[in-house]
Amino acid sequence: MRNDMPGGDPKEIWKNQSNEVPAMTLKLIQWKARELRMKTRKKLLGSVAGPVVVAFFWAYSTKLKGITPLAQALFAFIFVWSLLGTYILVKGLRSGPMPGDAALSTGLEFCRREIERQQVLARRILLWSFLPSLLGIAGFVLALALIGAKVIPRGVPFLVLVGAWVVAYFVIRSREDHQLQTEMDQLRQIEAENRPGPA
Amino acid sequence: MGGPEPISTRRTSQDALFQEAAELFGASLERLARAYEADPEKRRDLTQDIHFQLWRSFERYDSRCSLKTWSYRVAHHVAVSHVIRERRTFLKLVSLEEFDSLPDQSGGPSSDRRLNLDRLAALIQRLKPLDRQVIVSYLEELDAAAISEITGLTPANVAMKVHRIKKILAKWFHESGHKGADHAQ
Repeated sequence: MRNDMPGGDPKEIWKNQSNEVPAMTLKLIQWKARELRMKTRKKLLGSVAGPVVVAFFWAYSTKLKGITPLAQALFAFIFVWSLLGTYILVKGLRSGPMPGDAALSTGLEFCRREIERQQVLARRILLWSFLPSLLGIAGFVLALALIGAKVIPRGVPFLVLVGAWVVAYFVIRSREDHQLQTEMDQLRQIEAENRPGPA
Repeated sequence: MGGPEPISTRRTSQDALFQEAAELFGASLERLARAYEADPEKRRDLTQDIHFQLWRSFERYDSRCSLKTWSYRVAHHVAVSHVIRERRTFLKLVSLEEFDSLPDQSGGPSSDRRLNLDRLAALIQRLKPLDRQVIVSYLEELDAAAISEITGLTPANVAMKVHRIKKILAKWFHESGHKGADHAQ
């Protein structure tokens, strides 16, 4: 690279930048480990959102007069589904390869695997968290309708909100899915181009 | 002899390896974080994450690759995960090839090194993760073989990308200088 550039040699500019972070000592590493454990706990807490939503609507519906055993059974089924989903999501979160464990893979392999993991995670969230939550709400609305409550027009604002949530979820998800798939296709192509040929 | 190493010995060697890597590559790893994160607070976190994961990774270090390659790989992996986790849209990121054909948005020349560093960092942050790995390694003066080992690209492809990087950097840091000179006149 030329050194006669107006702002100087890019390599020199890059390498001469000032340090912002204090040197990491082993004591700081231990502190970081504790912080990471706390973050993981918070993440685990967030993953129980599905069962909480289902439990809320189930508990609410049990107070309704005339709720049928069939509706109760439906709620029980959805609750078990969402609990199982939480277990699967947590297991997935825990089993994900930490970047440090993947030091033997190249950047190309790691990028591809990381995107694959994101795709799997998005599908799991849909199947094990979003769908049970949605069914829980649907079950609640159905239970209300069965006991003769006037869901329409009194429940319309709530139904509109739920509808908007569902539409937004699928729009965002399909956009993310498309981006991840495009990225994945490109990485696979690069991988094919960079595969070592026969000796 | 054989059998598993006692935990205390393993821990000592893990700590020692980390301290050696931090001493040798600490500054490079901090610069690497700048290539992936523009926000200073988040960058600080990312740098700490990189060091933490590096320390963790040395529990499994088996000398199959050099300490340098290992450290850079771990650092890039942590940073790529960070980019994906932050849900930055991939569509806004471009490859080196696409970047070359984009209009120059460097915002004019400067003799201010700080500004030039910010521009260089902004350029790198617009690239896709794999190309970022190549450009950061190039700026850190790693040779094509080492870059190839870190990224998984063939040395020929690395050479091609480095050629393109040189062209882009020359365009950004030279042409803009002429523009600035014209404006100054």
